[in-house]
Amino acid sequence: MIEITEEELSMEELIKRARSKDAGAMVTFLGSVRDDGIERLEVEAFREAALAELESIQREATSRFALKAVEIVHRTGTLAVGESIVAIVCSAGHREEAFSGCRYIIEELKKRAPLWKKELGERGEHWVGQDEPAGK
Amino acid sequence: MVLAFASFREILGKEREICLVEGATVRDLLEELAAARPAFNEAAFDDTGALRDYVLLMVNRKRIDPILDLSRPLQDGDELAIFPPLAGG
Repeated sequence: MIEITEEELSMEELIKRARSKDAGAMVTFLGSVRDDGIERLEVEAFREAALAELESIQREATSRFALKAVEIVHRTGTLAVGESIVAIVCSAGHREEAFSGCRYIIEELKKRAPLWKKELGERGEHWVGQDEPAGK
Repeated sequence: MVLAFASFREILGKEREICLVEGATVRDLLEELAAARPAFNEAAFDDTGALRDYVLLMVNRKRIDPILDLSRPLQDGDELAIFPPLAGG
């Protein structure tokens, strides 16, 4: 299941959904807001396009690495330092496929999903990845 | 329909409808926006009038090449999305 949500995410819930009798391995990835001298992060999505892209990534990972289940949740809205941004759970027959699948999904998500982060803190505001802030 | 995200949303607003003459291209639309909003002109175009390399575009939710596809004509009902480099995860 793929979700983009403002709600808190529950890794336990994702693990529960990904469990199956034929999955001998499960790998989880949790990305959270790092304290780089910031106070908070604002996460924005082009929701429809991001969901479609995450579905493509899920399909690719499932077929390349023979995954049994994939769960991806990305949060949007205002997130404090330490809060979770993204969670991925991959289950597979064996650990190698589960590790590879999980790594593939987070790397492709970062490259391809239309999502943005703005860092806010005492030093001001900055859209991550944009060196010359538009309009500033 | 024009959708803008992140830094470009802050300048242009989230979405707006724009009427263009028949045969208008992606570049025509961007120039129309630049003429209406000086802050967008400054953010999106350099001094030579070239699109800055952090301006990314989608037409109908498919990425287009910000150099090669600027001359692409837009159809009635097309959706153009304007955004800076992706930074999810």
